[in-house]
Amino acid sequence: MILRTARKELTDTVRDGRFRWAALLVGALLLVALGAGWMHVQEARAQHETARATAREHWDSQGEKNPHSAAHYGIYAFKPRLPLSFVDQGVDPYTGTSVWLEAHRQNDFVLRAAQDASAVQRFASITAAGVLQQLIPLLIILLSFGALAFEREQGTLRQILALGVPRKHLAWGKALGTAGALALLLVPAAALGAAAVVGAGGGASGATLGRAAILTLAYFGYFSVWVALSLAVSAKASSARTALVVLLAVWSVNGLVAPRVAVDLSKSLYPTPSAFEFAHTVEREMANGVDDIRPPDREAITARLLEEHGVERVDDLPVNPSGITLQESEEFGNRIYDRNYEALWDAFERQSRVHDALAVLAPGLAVRALSMGLAGTDVEQHRHFASAAEDYRRDLMRAMNMDLALNSRAGETYLADDELWESQPPFDYEAPSLAWVLGNRRLSALVLLFWVVGAAAAAAFGVRRMEVG
Amino acid sequence: MRFRHHVRHEWRLLRADRLLTATLGLFAVLFLYALLNGSAWVRFQEDTLGALAEARDERDARTRAELRRIASGGQPSSPFRDPRAPNVLGSQRNSRPAALPPGPLATLAIGQSDLLPFYYDVSIYTNDQTFLQNGEVENPLHLLVGRFDLAFVLVYLLPLLVLALSYNVLSGERERGTLPMTLAQPVSARSTLGVKLVFRVIVVLFLALGVSVVGGLATGVRDVGRLALWSTIVTSYAIFWLGLATWVNSRGRSSAWNATVLVGAWLLLVVVFPAAVNVAAGLLHPLPSRVEMITVQREASNEAVNRRSELLARYLEDHPEMSGAVVSEASSSAALAWAATEEVNRRLGEVVERYQGRLEEQRRLIGTYRYASPALLAHDALLETAGTGDGRFSRFEAQVRGFAQELKDFFVPAILAGDRMTEAVVADIPSFRYREAGFQTVVGRIVPALAALLAMTLLVSVPGWRAMRDVRGTS
Repeated sequence: MILRTARKELTDTVRDGRFRWAALLVGALLLVALGAGWMHVQEARAQHETARATAREHWDSQGEKNPHSAAHYGIYAFKPRLPLSFVDQGVDPYTGTSVWLEAHRQNDFVLRAAQDASAVQRFASITAAGVLQQLIPLLIILLSFGALAFEREQGTLRQILALGVPRKHLAWGKALGTAGALALLLVPAAALGAAAVVGAGGGASGATLGRAAILTLAYFGYFSVWVALSLAVSAKASSARTALVVLLAVWSVNGLVAPRVAVDLSKSLYPTPSAFEFAHTVEREMANGVDDIRPPDREAITARLLEEHGVERVDDLPVNPSGITLQESEEFGNRIYDRNYEALWDAFERQSRVHDALAVLAPGLAVRALSMGLAGTDVEQHRHFASAAEDYRRDLMRAMNMDLALNSRAGETYLADDELWESQPPFDYEAPSLAWVLGNRRLSALVLLFWVVGAAAAAAFGVRRMEVG
Repeated sequence: MRFRHHVRHEWRLLRADRLLTATLGLFAVLFLYALLNGSAWVRFQEDTLGALAEARDERDARTRAELRRIASGGQPSSPFRDPRAPNVLGSQRNSRPAALPPGPLATLAIGQSDLLPFYYDVSIYTNDQTFLQNGEVENPLHLLVGRFDLAFVLVYLLPLLVLALSYNVLSGERERGTLPMTLAQPVSARSTLGVKLVFRVIVVLFLALGVSVVGGLATGVRDVGRLALWSTIVTSYAIFWLGLATWVNSRGRSSAWNATVLVGAWLLLVVVFPAAVNVAAGLLHPLPSRVEMITVQREASNEAVNRRSELLARYLEDHPEMSGAVVSEASSSAALAWAATEEVNRRLGEVVERYQGRLEEQRRLIGTYRYASPALLAHDALLETAGTGDGRFSRFEAQVRGFAQELKDFFVPAILAGDRMTEAVVADIPSFRYREAGFQTVVGRIVPALAALLAMTLLVSVPGWRAMRDVRGTS
């Protein structure tokens, strides 16, 4: 009976011109968004590779130079794109893609794609993830707001139940019918997506496939929530019209209002400094130090070195005090940057937690966080890359300073050559593991699970208590 | 007399409808919340700009004090930072802030102001790269989601209020059986309906414009012309939705049918079309990548450093106005450095010009797409009116570029001549003040969008209005 109901529901739906148009529209949007996203990611990856190679070449071929000049010259790092970012570009357009790694300074990421785009594009910037998070739920609502309410209005509900069909079976049939109609749309899209992932750049790694599988599961859970919710409302609403209004209200809160309210709420709970304030604080602390972090004193360092090596004159030192001082001032700067950047990133993460927690009221927030996390485009993974780039900068600066310290003496003109530059390891970034991502997004996964269970329970309850006519 | 009678009647009906009054109340809350949000953001920007000006004054005072000290025989605090050298006094250390004050109606629309930089530190070293910097410190997630401002409520949610008030303006009467009785009175269907529609417009606009105008004035908006423009856009947009509802009502179907169709139309025009436009724009007019700019800039600066003296000779050839200034021996290293800087800027400028040309072209094309949806049109026009859209930010950037040139004109001859700066010079250094676009310019920018919005409104209203002639009491 479940299957028979499902088949009837599916046939009804597929024959309905409104569904066909809506599905065609959403399906086309989804495919185009996937295609555009894929092309964009391929292009960005190619550019990234070229830029990375060129940046390295610039570094390697700087010619004879003092290592500290080389440190000032520095190197650029470019943020790589993970294969799945074509499904969900997440915060990528807003984080910047490139950072200059130079002496003394931890720079900000620049080149935010969103700054080049216009307000028209920002108004409805949508990717495949946007279609999945916003438009598919809408389609589900349109498909199933009348599932039970229409039958009741037309009096057919009483007839069906009088035949002895258990309510539970009827509800399952309706849900499966909707799911079947959606599958007609989503399975081909998912297959294309999978083909794109596997086909891109000589096959996908196990990590990517794992991420893709869980991403699919998350969206499956999210859609189930909407199917169950629609059924629950359809069972309890006094009319099909009321069901539609209620569901659309829930949809607008979920997709339009809640995300923005979460922004304001998280900002007021965990405020961040203004860019000016931030820069000013760093500048002040760099000049004067703060707490027990004190700027290095060249004379004290020289005196210490003289004592350590048991010599009287600077010229007799086996190391160049300039290199040591530079390294100590680098370490002093690192502590200042750590203080300030860590506080800022921590504030961002606390803000993200507010969004995650508010998902209890709007499941879209939970699936958004999971989707960005698995696609590798959330704020946390940007931070992961930023810290890796910063660690690389620190290693590079230490290598330069120590070369200066060990291979030259005070007061002499020292020039290193390509051998030193080429001996520096390249910056190979490894994206965090799936376990890291899931650990980071566990709250969202939990909340989504809560929604799946809650919506299913609401549907079961609604159907059991449903008025017949 | 009859009109007043009608309106009073409609008012009573509205007050009796619990769901509608609750909806109106909810909207009033949303409007106020959005307004508070906007004004908090404006306050934040004003505080930042205040701190910026204060820091500049402190910096100037320090520079003057040091110049005074040196003039009376003291030593500069560092040989590399001798403020008497024009390339130091004009450098980033003594940069002049260029600030864009919040837009005239920024409390009403946050727009692009959370994303784009609203101040720059300008010096003689300001070049195209300066404009690649980020805006305000903000969680990228927040930039992605966007803010809850009045423009958002008006563009996304106001149509829903209009539709909730008017989806059954005619069908409801028919379904309740009151339409035949009304039409039995010596009034035409049109005038009855006209009053109902006008009443609804008044209710919606009273709320939307009331909050915009009173809230705006209360939070410090002083530009009455722009407020009027804002109100015109909101009014046209609201009437568009009312016109659509009228048309759908004139089809003579049930309230349920009307509701479904109108909500569908809202989804298409507010959510789906803009999304489709965006996808199409990304596909057909991809924005060029800036990554290659970094590479070019690096290459240019490597080369320039190696060819300094050659570059200086050429610089003087290219700038006969400078050749009067004898390049003195003492200044030669600063002059050489400057020539190299100019060369890097020139090369960078070439790349940026190519890039900017392509970017402008793509943005122009994408701009035409806004005619696909009244929501996009209204949103864009509201942002431009508020002074938080792309237009004002590019105007600001252009003025900052001009200001950077002023600074160069001020300092570079001194660098080449090896002049020494004194305390008296500090007062003469140019400073930046944003010149707001005239009201006509703003109107000119908005007229096409407003005209298109009005055309759309007529397009949906006229057929509905004409069909109202044939309205009968029963279906």
